[in-house]
Amino acid sequence: MKKRLGIISLFVLLFLAFILVWNFSYQTGREEAYVPIENITSISLIPSETGVFERSEYAFDYVNMPVDENHQRSLETYYDNRAFHGAPPSIPHFVEDERNMGGKACLKCHEHGGFVEKFQAYSPVTPHPEMVNCRQCHVPQQTNSLFKGTNFHKVDAPEVGVNNALQGSPPVVPHQIQMHENCLSCHAGPSAPKEIRVTHPERVNCRQCHVSNNKEMTDIGVFKRTNQDEAY
Amino acid sequence: MNKPLNMYTSLTNRRSFIKKMAIMSAMTAAASMFPGILFADEQERNLPKSGNLDWKKAPCRFCGVGCGVLVGIEAGKAVAVKGDPKSPVNKGLCCVKGYHSVLALYGKDRLTKPLVKKNGKYVETSMEEALDLVASKMKETIKDHGKDAVSIYGSGQWTIPDGYAASKLFKGCIGTNNVEANARLCMASAVTGFLTSFGIDEPMGCYEDIDHADVFVLWGNNMAEMHPVLFSRLLDQRLKRGVKIIDFATRTTRTSMAADKSILFLPQTDLAVANAICYEIINNGWANKSFYEKHCNFKKGLTNMGYGLEDNYAFKDKPEAISFEDYKAFLEDYTPEKVEKISGVSAKDIKYMAAYYGDPNKKVMSLWCMGMNQHSRGTWINNLVYNIHLLTGKISTPGNSPFSLTGQPSACGTVREVGTLTHKLPHGVVMNKAHREFAAKIWDVPVENIPAKPTYHTVEMFRALDRGDIRFMWIQVTNPMVTMPKLKRYRDGAKKEGRFIVVSDIYPTPTTDIADVILPSAMWIEREGLFGNSERRTQHFEQMVEPPGEAMSDTWQLVEVAKRMGYEKQFYYNEDSHVEEIYTEYRRHHDNKKHNMAPLEVLKSQPGAMWPYVDGKSTKWRFNAKYDPACSNGEDFHFYGKPDGKAIIWQRPYEPAAEEPDTEYPYWLNTGRVVEHWHTGSMTRRIPVLHKAMPHAYVELNPGDAKRLQIRTGDKVKLTTRRGEIILPASINQRGVPAPMQVFVPFFDENMLINDITLDSFCPISKEPDYKKCAVKVEKV
Amino acid sequence: MPIKSYLAHPHEGKKAHLIEALKSLEYCEVIPAENKDLLIVVTDTHTREQEDHLKEKIESIASLKLLAMVSGFNTK
Repeated sequence: MKKRLGIISLFVLLFLAFILVWNFSYQTGREEAYVPIENITSISLIPSETGVFERSEYAFDYVNMPVDENHQRSLETYYDNRAFHGAPPSIPHFVEDERNMGGKACLKCHEHGGFVEKFQAYSPVTPHPEMVNCRQCHVPQQTNSLFKGTNFHKVDAPEVGVNNALQGSPPVVPHQIQMHENCLSCHAGPSAPKEIRVTHPERVNCRQCHVSNNKEMTDIGVFKRTNQDEAY
Repeated sequence: MNKPLNMYTSLTNRRSFIKKMAIMSAMTAAASMFPGILFADEQERNLPKSGNLDWKKAPCRFCGVGCGVLVGIEAGKAVAVKGDPKSPVNKGLCCVKGYHSVLALYGKDRLTKPLVKKNGKYVETSMEEALDLVASKMKETIKDHGKDAVSIYGSGQWTIPDGYAASKLFKGCIGTNNVEANARLCMASAVTGFLTSFGIDEPMGCYEDIDHADVFVLWGNNMAEMHPVLFSRLLDQRLKRGVKIIDFATRTTRTSMAADKSILFLPQTDLAVANAICYEIINNGWANKSFYEKHCNFKKGLTNMGYGLEDNYAFKDKPEAISFEDYKAFLEDYTPEKVEKISGVSAKDIKYMAAYYGDPNKKVMSLWCMGMNQHSRGTWINNLVYNIHLLTGKISTPGNSPFSLTGQPSACGTVREVGTLTHKLPHGVVMNKAHREFAAKIWDVPVENIPAKPTYHTVEMFRALDRGDIRFMWIQVTNPMVTMPKLKRYRDGAKKEGRFIVVSDIYPTPTTDIADVILPSAMWIEREGLFGNSERRTQHFEQMVEPPGEAMSDTWQLVEVAKRMGYEKQFYYNEDSHVEEIYTEYRRHHDNKKHNMAPLEVLKSQPGAMWPYVDGKSTKWRFNAKYDPACSNGEDFHFYGKPDGKAIIWQRPYEPAAEEPDTEYPYWLNTGRVVEHWHTGSMTRRIPVLHKAMPHAYVELNPGDAKRLQIRTGDKVKLTTRRGEIILPASINQRGVPAPMQVFVPFFDENMLINDITLDSFCPISKEPDYKKCAVKVEKV
Repeated sequence: MPIKSYLAHPHEGKKAHLIEALKSLEYCEVIPAENKDLLIVVTDTHTREQEDHLKEKIESIASLKLLAMVSGFNTK
């Protein structure tokens, strides 16, 4: 009997303790609607390096793709729907749903490309499929007229075949890469303009040999070694 | 490129080239091991010099988000734009307007010479002569009609030095409070909302809240089109962390389609829904008692305030303290079931929203812009949303943030902080003697110069121009002849005999059409300046290109006129260094822990800084002792804008709009913007890609209404209100879908001026007009 | 005249120390990653002997966990 009472009172005690603890934590959870935040030290920028390997899993597919001579794009028209090279291209075709910001509707063709019967062309592949509010930057064109004329000076886009240091050495990247860090999306596959289609897509580490050439910040001139005064 | 090999000019040294190759391969190896690794600075430093572009940083010219952009300059021309990856605002991304912003500098019809109206015709003249004329006309008007007959009207597109020079000249030197800005039409309710609830203007949180919040409630805010870069940050968080986005609006838009849940309410009933959410929070015991008891007071103000439709309308609120019990009793009228009947929002949806606000483990960010500000009870609805956050204690901590967005690049930086509104001074208000003395001392003017009484708010200022109480008006960087509600009255008024209008702008607009003198302005990167965005971030931009012809910055136009009027002593600035001199002088007004501004060297070296800038650090969360050095009460939170350090939870009822649909005018008329165009389109319509994307305005109808009226997309539709009529092409099931018996028209198109027929009712406290609601008749033509 | 590039991994929390230690060495350039515990080290020496000597010195730094060569060039 004593033993049984002991067991019962132990359980009663445990139960009370549980209720107490549970209530307490529930109350504090309600009272302080504050969840401590771990300090985020660095801002997550759009990294300038990540994109390069993005489509590398398709590299061998690119190698084996036959060239469709009849439906190739060329650089001649490539920049036509861009206000300057590096500007987001406008949408050259009709868009079904005006109320859609993009996302899947655009990505179903522009994530991996493919031949589109209607336009007799391969759809270009986006270098940034993770950004889904497509139409905040890419707008269709409803008219050819202008509100007023413009004197904006469109700078010439970089040419092909003139930006390597030595005969046969790898050309440098002559354009901005922000928002199009992923080389293969524009430089490989059937939608790539023929002049800039890479001959060796399987060597996915593009920027191992092709260094970029754009002055982002102030130039420091010829590189000088530091720590010269240190004794050897 | 013209000179193909010039990128190697600095690479004469083969060793350094090899070294760069070695670094590059190490970086690529590192990148393959750690995706996302950054060597930003080093990488850029080691790049070979290229002959192409020079990239310089600036805040974007357009909206109040204040994205950092890098502008590419070649041969003295701005030729390209990209997002600044170092900017914590946009992290390298822009919207279509931002990417094409530099094209706005190069429209063919840029104003390059001053024009003076002589016998009904505009005659070209020199800048010297035009400024002489402006100064002499202003002196003459003051002599004949008194100081309060001259006025200046600017906007949130004014840079900080522009607004400061305007305020100093008119309030300090001339001695009139006739200083107003377009921000009155856009941000005034947000300001009065902050002042009534917290006693100090501008958001407590910042954009970084987006990275912490779990739920986003958008109050009448089509962010996908109006603040696309911030919306992309929301979408990014949804991909990474699965946050919830709730679109609470009157119209189905791209935002509704992208949101996790879209809830539609009837116009004006957001007031009732906000109260219902508070009812649910209290009724379910979700309120954070220890927070509101320690940090909040309860108050009520006057009701049945009217709508300001009549000239010389005046209103002054009489706040009265109430108890929590009183407040709770008041909320009995706003049970979800009762509000369902007023608002058209189901009780279930109200409870759904309330549950997110009430859940102690969910961090909630409320976002809003014009839907709540351009509201005939704008101050109230701002108060009510703060109530929700104050009752639950979800405020001033990372991710818990009621956040009022802005529409203009420096609505905060210039209009609200410099104080270019009739009642404001850079620090404080004209009604306060100490504030006047403080400003007069820095301005170096006798304190008696600054009148103690505010004069006209924007709508009343244009009414005064119509009546003839104001005879001279100088309009800078804005386009009131497109944006004023009930526009026809104010356009006719401005054209009356005996009025003298000076307009400083960069292109011909409907506003330059009413001008007697047109001054060509230098815009954005054609001059040096500073903008302040919605998250209290002040950003500097240097002059990057030469302005066309005789175009001159608005600041320098004001300085030149001030000198001509005899205020050389106060306008001592040098042409080469005036921006720095003005900013340094301006900083003295805010020299305290609650509002300290970062020094110019700091702003030049980084993509902006957030005030209060104390001990070399931006303040991300105000009123929170952990982050804000101005908190001094020893508690976790200190709402130091109010004398007792407590924020106010306001009892504000639902009241109907000024004009609601009836049998004669059975539809609601709502106005707004589209993603392609900014404000009145005077810049964006001159950007070919944007104009081609959105060539003209239209009227959106609900498909059901359209079917009944036999209207198809493209058909001409006549809209008639008590103010007039206008014909627009119809748009059905396209960009947006209004609810049944509502129509929507964007206001950017100067050829289809929707504001000719809108109503000039305004919020009695903020005096901001309600562009979102009036009654209209819809007919097929 | 060899030029070599390495990836250097510091021991946890010792990144700053490693940067300082490497910076104090002659013929050696350091490029720290901004957001990861990783440094790029480039050595640029005149002779093989110098190179070997420098490598020994680098490897003797206490805060260095791992040093991995990525590329090497020799210009004569």
